[in-house]
Amino acid sequence: MVNSNADALGIIFPNSYDSLVPELVSERLMASIPFASRYRMVDFILSSMVNCGIGNVSIIVRKNYHSLMDHLGSGREWDLTRKNGGLNIVPPFAEKSVTVYNGRVEALASILGFLRSQKEKYVVMSDADIAVNFDFNAMIDAHIESGADVTVAYLEEEIPASAMAAHTEDKNLYYTFDMEDGWVKGLKINPKDTGIQNFSMNIYIVGREFLIEQISNAYAHGYIYFERDILAPQLDTLKIRAFRFDGYVAQINDMKSYFDENMKLLKDENLDALFSTNPIYTKIRDDNPTRYIAGAKVTNIMAADGCVIEGEVENSVLFRGVKIAKGAKVKNCILMQDTVVESGATLEYVITDKNVTVTAGKELKGTDTFPVFVAKHQKV
Amino acid sequence: MAKEMIAMLLAGGQGSRLYALTQKLAKPAVPFGGKYRIIDFPLSNCVNSGIDTVGILTQYQPLVLNEYIGNGQPWDLDRLHGGVHVLPPYQQATGSDWYKGTANAIYQNISFIERYNPQYVIILSGDQICKQDYSDFLRFHKEKGAEFSVAVMEVPWDEASRFGLMVTDENDKITEFQEKPKNPKSNLASMGIYIFNWDILKKYLIEDEADPNSENDFGNNIIPNLLRDGRNMYAYHFNGYWKDVGTISSLWEANMEVLDPEHSGINLFDDKWKIYSRNSGMTGHRITADAVVENSMITDGCRVSGTVKHSILFAGVQVEAGAVVEDAVVMGGTIIKAGAVVQHCIVAENVVIGENAVVGAMPSDGEKGVATIGSGVYIGDNAKIGPNAMVNNNVKGGEEQW
Repeated sequence: MVNSNADALGIIFPNSYDSLVPELVSERLMASIPFASRYRMVDFILSSMVNCGIGNVSIIVRKNYHSLMDHLGSGREWDLTRKNGGLNIVPPFAEKSVTVYNGRVEALASILGFLRSQKEKYVVMSDADIAVNFDFNAMIDAHIESGADVTVAYLEEEIPASAMAAHTEDKNLYYTFDMEDGWVKGLKINPKDTGIQNFSMNIYIVGREFLIEQISNAYAHGYIYFERDILAPQLDTLKIRAFRFDGYVAQINDMKSYFDENMKLLKDENLDALFSTNPIYTKIRDDNPTRYIAGAKVTNIMAADGCVIEGEVENSVLFRGVKIAKGAKVKNCILMQDTVVESGATLEYVITDKNVTVTAGKELKGTDTFPVFVAKHQKV
Repeated sequence: MAKEMIAMLLAGGQGSRLYALTQKLAKPAVPFGGKYRIIDFPLSNCVNSGIDTVGILTQYQPLVLNEYIGNGQPWDLDRLHGGVHVLPPYQQATGSDWYKGTANAIYQNISFIERYNPQYVIILSGDQICKQDYSDFLRFHKEKGAEFSVAVMEVPWDEASRFGLMVTDENDKITEFQEKPKNPKSNLASMGIYIFNWDILKKYLIEDEADPNSENDFGNNIIPNLLRDGRNMYAYHFNGYWKDVGTISSLWEANMEVLDPEHSGINLFDDKWKIYSRNSGMTGHRITADAVVENSMITDGCRVSGTVKHSILFAGVQVEAGAVVEDAVVMGGTIIKAGAVVQHCIVAENVVIGENAVVGAMPSDGEKGVATIGSGVYIGDNAKIGPNAMVNNNVKGGEEQW
């Protein structure tokens, strides 16, 4: 194989952390949450894989995946419409007594046959709750050089308060590591430690044969979680290497972090940090350029194509096709695709989902710690 | 499988009157309207009209155009049978020839057309900004029982002598053709868009090729020959927006008209008749806290910190703080540095305009030249480019060019 192609196949778990943002995933899943004016969360990991020569990517969907199917289509925008490999969306295989998967072990067990028939030496796995321009080649190189069985990417940072405070049934939400010389010697599940931690990004590289063996074994024992049931019990026998990532990361833990991470991109240094290394691909909508009509007043915004702006907009992120009528005022807002703000309406600290209409003269106000959220297709 | 109608798109024009803009690319590849190239219009019209087979006849500087068209996917023209094909002149057993004229370009590709065995062929021009439903044109052609139809626009009588004119009877049947006449008998100008019955077109192309005195041109040779033989020729009236963007001033004007679709320009905001283009893949554009943006169109990848008024910025244009851009068309990847003043002009792709440089000027005293900067040019700090300048080479800091 030519150097530009990594000898790895990719697997993405698009439903991970759905439970943290119930409003945003009522009609979609984590991977298809709109982000950064014209992208969906999955675009970042998927583009990173493609940019690193990973041309065989499987997305193991669990539920609410119609919007993701619509977004990804045949995978053409990511250059994943291929004869060999390409994009492979794996829906749940319904059988009596078989329910949708709960953890990575069950998810991977459902594609064991597929994994056995592939030829790549390594498997790269990731969730889709992080927007990141990730260099998988560097991580694969480190994995090979160290001779590890498993390499996991981590951040040196505090555990996000929102993850710690999450009101969810999920007992396997996030992980931190104790390390010695770059080797993982301890694995903590949902710890409450304060201060800087080795916080897992849940991005893994493993040998394909090794993964098949581990998953077959774990699944036969009725195990569910990769971290709790495969890694944690075998810390002494497996060689688990940690790979520190120092690049820009936007992680979605709740509505507040969704708001903050979008807003952070209004700073050029953040925007450059996320986008300047390699291109991030997304579905093309063929909108016209955004039009600023006489009378529009804009300051500090990011906007995608297809918008028509006649009113005032400040400190806001506008997705594709947003219309802001004359006399409307929008401040500190995130307006998703095709939101319409009619004349004289005032919005402050508001997140609107797709196709929301705020009718003339209405006033909506949230606060910086608690933005108002308007669900998809609602007319206010 | 036969096609009812296929399109042949003439895209070989050098566009010499666009001089600085067409040094490295063919006229149909010239950027337009913020995120399009001129050829996006006829291609999108084809797809929106249900035409799925298009031959693009190229000759001059085809590199950019070839890459841009690629497999035709952005226009949904990557098809199993048909789709878009770029057709440059090629070597044949009996030798090779450049396309000698518009008719010769089609003649040399008779075998391409025969692969699809169409009933009708529509001949399109690659240098017009226009949204047109070719299926309505075909309906007209069939209803009239025509062998040849031409799309015509009514033009003001005092300008009529600049055009090729169709003189028609009350049933739109063409009785006479006048090429740029001193005394026009009609104000119906040919748009250079024709529908032919394929058998008729083929017969006349072969006959024209055999005539050593022919210029092998549709307007000068084929149409007069059809008239001579009393063929069924009809004029199809089109009254939407149409602009030949063959000159710097008409290209600038057509871009400015896009900013005012309610009154003058082509409406690019029509979901029912989208214009497709190859995507830049850049992030959403940024307008910073210092910026002033008025009455403009801005697309992906732009970073605006200065003042932008009544202008069109293409993908990835940067306008630094304190710079002023007014009545300007600024193409992709161009950087306008702090304090520069860029007015009433066209700036091509990947240009750098240095700090405090001045490019063009707002019209005054009947002087309304559109300054033009060619692609990749570097304009040094404090340089000055006059309103009639056509700049194709780097201009050093502090220098002036008029």
